[in-house]
Amino acid sequence: MSLQILLNGLATGSIYALIATGFALIFNVLKFSNFSHGATMTAAAFAAYFLVSANGAGLAATLAVAGIAGAAIALFGEFVGFRRITLNHSSSTYFFVSSITLGTLYEGLVTVKVGSNFYNFPRFFTNPTINLGDFVISTSDIMMFTISMVALIILAYVIQKTRLGRALRAVSFDRDTAQLMGIDSTRIIQLTFVISGVLAGIAGVFLGIKYTLYPTLGSLVVKGFIASVIGGLGSLTGAVIGAVLLGVVETILLSVLGSGYSTIATFAIMLVFLLLRPQGIAGSNVQEKA
Amino acid sequence: MALLTNVLTQVFITLISVAGVYVLTGLTGMFSLGQAAFMAIGSYASGIFVVKLGMPLVPAIILAVLLAVVVGYLIGYPVVRLRRDYISLVTLGFGEAIAALLTRMTSLTGGASGFTGIPRRTTLAIAAVSAILAVALVAFFKSSKYGRQCIALRGDELAAKAMGINVIRVKMTAFLLSVALTAYSGCLYAFYMTYVDPNGFDWKKSADWVIMVFFGGVNSLTGSTLGAFILSALPQVLRGLQNYRYVIYAVLVLLIINFKPSGLLGEWELTPRNIKRTWNGLRAKLSGKAGKKEGH
Repeated sequence: MSLQILLNGLATGSIYALIATGFALIFNVLKFSNFSHGATMTAAAFAAYFLVSANGAGLAATLAVAGIAGAAIALFGEFVGFRRITLNHSSSTYFFVSSITLGTLYEGLVTVKVGSNFYNFPRFFTNPTINLGDFVISTSDIMMFTISMVALIILAYVIQKTRLGRALRAVSFDRDTAQLMGIDSTRIIQLTFVISGVLAGIAGVFLGIKYTLYPTLGSLVVKGFIASVIGGLGSLTGAVIGAVLLGVVETILLSVLGSGYSTIATFAIMLVFLLLRPQGIAGSNVQEKA
Repeated sequence: MALLTNVLTQVFITLISVAGVYVLTGLTGMFSLGQAAFMAIGSYASGIFVVKLGMPLVPAIILAVLLAVVVGYLIGYPVVRLRRDYISLVTLGFGEAIAALLTRMTSLTGGASGFTGIPRRTTLAIAAVSAILAVALVAFFKSSKYGRQCIALRGDELAAKAMGINVIRVKMTAFLLSVALTAYSGCLYAFYMTYVDPNGFDWKKSADWVIMVFFGGVNSLTGSTLGAFILSALPQVLRGLQNYRYVIYAVLVLLIINFKPSGLLGEWELTPRNIKRTWNGLRAKLSGKAGKKEGH
C-alpha cells in the first residue's frame, strides 16, 4: 500500500516538475514570476484537444500539438507583454502585472470559446492499468512519468552541454553583459519562452488527462509555484526536487486527510519551509538588488 | 434606479478593497494574489458571527477584521523577510488553501453551495461612506511617515534599509493595513449580497484589483480610485459582454503597460494645488494657442 502511494506520488510529482521547471526557466532569465504560465498550460491543452484529440488522434500527436501551441502562446506573450518592458529595463512590478494580465487574457479567451464546460481527453491507452506483481499502476501515470523525465533530461542536456544553453545561462546571469559579448539576448529570451511554453503544453495535456479539461485548469500551476519555492526560486534542479517531493507528500496527505485538508497542509508545509529554510532546497536565493 | 443603486454599492465595496491593494501594490510594490481570500475571511467570519452566533453587526465586523489581520500576520511573518516575489507566490497558495477550507468545512460554511441567510444590512450610504473613509485613510497613510517609507523601499529596498528604515516592519504594516481594508470590504459584501460562496474569491479577483490599480496609475491614489471606479462599473454596464469582460480588461491593461506604463493619471493626485496648477496650465495653453492664431 505505501509503495503504491509512493508510485502515484512520483507520477504526480513528475507533472509538477514540468510545471515548476517551465516557471523557473523564465524566473531564471528575466527574474520575475510568470503568472501567465498556468493559463498557457490551459490554452495549449485546449488547442491540442480541439485540433487533434477531438478528431481521434493519439497521445503523441496531442502532445506535439500542445507543445507547439504552448510555444506559440508563450512567444506571443513575450512579444505583447514583455518585449517593451524588457528593453526599457522597467521595474519588476511591470513584469508582474503584464504576466497576470496575459494570464487573464488567455483564460478569458478560453472561457469565451468553451464556456465553463468540462472536457475529457479520449482514452489514449487500451489497458488503463498495468499489474506489476502486487501493484496496480495506471498506464497514464507511467507514461506521464516517463515522458516528463525524458523532457527534463533533454532540457538539462541542452542547458548544460550546448552552445545555446551556455548562451541562455549567460543571459540569465547578466543580460546586458551577454549582449555586449555578442549574444543576441532578445533571441535567447524568445528561446526561453519557447522552451517554457513547450513544457507548459505537455504539462497541460497531462493535467487534462489526470483530471479533466476546464478553463481554470491553470490554477493547478500553484503546485508548480509551491514546488519552486520549496526548491529555491530560480533553480531548475531545486524545482525538480521540490516538485517530486511535493507530489509524494501530497499523495500521502491525500490518502490520510482527504482532498480539502491536504491542500491546506501542503500550504502550511510551504510556510514552515519558508520560515526554516527560505533559500529553498537548492539554496540559491536570488536577492533583490545587490 | 434600483440598478444604479446596485451598481454603485458594489463599486463602492470594490473601491475599499482596491484602496487596500493600493497600499500594498502602489505604495510598497508588493503583490498579493490571495487578497480576495482575506475578503472571503471577512465575509464568512462576519456572516457566521451574526447568523450562527447571533452577535450584533458592529462587533461581528470588528472581530472578523481582527481575525483576518491575525491570519495576515501569520502569512506575512515569513514572507516580508524575503524577496518580494515570495509574497505573491505564497498568497496565491493561501488563496487556494482558503477556498479548499471553505469548501471542506461544510457544517460551518455551507461548503461549495455557499453560506446563505445573511441579513441585508449594507446600504448604498454605508458603502459610500465606508469607501470615502477608506480612501481618506489611505491618503492619510500615504502622506504619513509610514507611507513615505513604503515608497522609499519600493524604489530600492537596500537603500531604504541603509537609510535606517525598518523594511520588515514597514512591509508588514502595509500588508496588514491592506488586509484589514479588504476584510472590511468583505464584511460589507456579505451583508449586501446576503450570500457568499467560495468560488467568488479566487486569484482572478485579486488580479482584478491589481489591474485596477495599474489601470488608473500605480503611483496615484486618485488614479487607482478612478481605475477601480471605471473598471468595476464597466462590466456592470456592459452586461451583454460578460464573457468578453476579462479579454477587454486584459487588452486595455496591455496597451497601458506598453504605451503608458505609469497608468492613466501617472503621478497626478487630486489636491487643491494640483487642480489649480493643471487649470492654469490648461488656460495658458488655450490662450497661447488663441494668441498665436491672432498673430498669424
